[in-house]
Amino acid sequence: MKLNTTMEVNRVTDEIWEIPPSAKDGMLVPARIYATEQILASMDSGVFEQVTNVACLPGIRRHALCMPDGHWGYGFPIGGVAAMDVENGVVSPGGIGFDINCGMRLIRTSLLRQDVQPRLEQLMTELFRKVPAGVGSRGFVRLSRHEFEDVMLKGARWCVERGYGWHDDLQRIEERGCIAGADPSKVSDHAVQRGISQLGTLGSGNHYLEVQVASNDRIFDRETAAALGITGEDQIVVMVHCGSRGFGHQVASDYLQVFEKAMRRYGITVKDQQLACAPFRSPEGQDYFAAMNCAANSAFANRQVITHQIREAFSAVFGQSAEELGMEIVYDVAHNIAKVERYKEGELVVHRKGATRAFGPGQGELAEQFRKIGQPVICGGSMETGSYLLVGTHQAMEETFGSTMHGSGRTMSRAQAKRSVRGEQLKKQMEQRGIIVKAVSMAGLAEEAGFAYKNISDVVEAVDRAGITKKVAELRPIGNIKG
Amino acid sequence: MTKSFKILEEVALADTAFEAFGDSPTELFLAAGQAVIETMANPKTVQARWERVIERTDPELAGLLFDWLSEIVFLKDAEGVVFREAKAVVTEDRSHGGWTLRGTLTGEPIDPGRHDLHNDVKAVTKHLYEVRKEGNRWIARVVLDI
Repeated sequence: MKLNTTMEVNRVTDEIWEIPPSAKDGMLVPARIYATEQILASMDSGVFEQVTNVACLPGIRRHALCMPDGHWGYGFPIGGVAAMDVENGVVSPGGIGFDINCGMRLIRTSLLRQDVQPRLEQLMTELFRKVPAGVGSRGFVRLSRHEFEDVMLKGARWCVERGYGWHDDLQRIEERGCIAGADPSKVSDHAVQRGISQLGTLGSGNHYLEVQVASNDRIFDRETAAALGITGEDQIVVMVHCGSRGFGHQVASDYLQVFEKAMRRYGITVKDQQLACAPFRSPEGQDYFAAMNCAANSAFANRQVITHQIREAFSAVFGQSAEELGMEIVYDVAHNIAKVERYKEGELVVHRKGATRAFGPGQGELAEQFRKIGQPVICGGSMETGSYLLVGTHQAMEETFGSTMHGSGRTMSRAQAKRSVRGEQLKKQMEQRGIIVKAVSMAGLAEEAGFAYKNISDVVEAVDRAGITKKVAELRPIGNIKG
Repeated sequence: MTKSFKILEEVALADTAFEAFGDSPTELFLAAGQAVIETMANPKTVQARWERVIERTDPELAGLLFDWLSEIVFLKDAEGVVFREAKAVVTEDRSHGGWTLRGTLTGEPIDPGRHDLHNDVKAVTKHLYEVRKEGNRWIARVVLDI
């Protein structure tokens, strides 16, 4: 097998590959990549370099991990998972990403494709109007600084209190949409200024809002799907992919600068400047964690306001209330975040960057309705293919600090994608295949073409076979909104 | 005067990396600023109805450039604008042993109906970040998170 690395990579199982600590000076633990042979061979050299750099970080436990959707990132690879000891380990903004609590939300409906198809164009136009997208987009919620601090502290709960959601929504969001430990005093004025006008906006890049279909023939676990409100029968669902917008990006940028200086003080050296870190228990580490939680809560609030707008759009187009249309949240889960969790090694700060928490059944942290089936995991594919709903497993708790993949992973540069297809051409092609696209930027649309990504089904198959998540349903797009 | 930049495709698969060039620090800052504003929107579609002057000093030219580009990204969100032009004058401040920037950004509030919008830059990163001088030419390598 030809790999994009000269490092020693050993097969553990058909879906697990290990790079021993002898592969690089300073590695404290082995690095493990979850992938089929085919996916491993397609991974860029950055994955191998970066996952082994992460294995050198102070306090890392067991393994530095990379999921099958892994590709080159800043410092950490995208798809990276690393658990550090809370007492002796570090926290690294590069292990979370610039878009703190970038994540996925899935909303069900009781509408069927046949109900929606005749009004799909009207629905997509209304969604495009109600959910701002693209460069620097601003939302309809006007906040004072004090109110924005409330958003940082309360997350999605703030939105529900303001009427932008239903009380039951909170049970269907990871951490009930509000992570403890947020402290707005640890957030810069710059971050506040960047984010205060952006609540309820999608952003651009690979962020999107999609109207999708859950068909009977693409449901893999009927019982679990039903427990999550997915009935199949060409049911319409809505998926949202976005994060904490400029607010989170600025928090990450601010603390990378802080950590660069802190590392010198704590005598920490790293293999890559973007792995800047500080001891988790240090003042800098704790300040970042408190600010990161502010950004994480704002991202939950962002997706909650977007949900409110989606419900309004459906209600306007179909002439029924969102309640009548059965528009409950299926789940909302982060894939760029660090959390303190307990494993056999003790309390660990688990970094997930382009990786999703996938707790198995029985975990006390899960809301009651998910304790039997495991944590729902939402994985977004490219806008042309499909996305998946999965659930966490006991095996994930044993092997991957309760973590799994998050999406499909790019294989082609943005510039190359733009050279291969024009935005207008792609829009037309997608429409011929029954997918209506509304995009702010035609160049941005071309960059997100399906051929620029790995095949998500292959990636999902890898985690399913590895046993760290089980697939529940595939969801196919019929309408897409892009920034 | 030669001010220019080129996109480095092999460096950033999911993001945008570029190398900017100039015969002087000022030209380097002009080229790098242009690369950042063009990543966000086509400047030809943007009018100069908004202006902001930015003055900074830094002991290191690399630090000053990083601040300049980060400020452009910040103002895009904080002011809700895209940019027509990023003018810059960079001088070496020999008395204090550092560098001084006087930059002027022009642009206008974002209007998706009129502006040819591209990507929403999240951050200027330190990944592979470098400012160097080769002969009489200044070169900067920058990776933007998209």
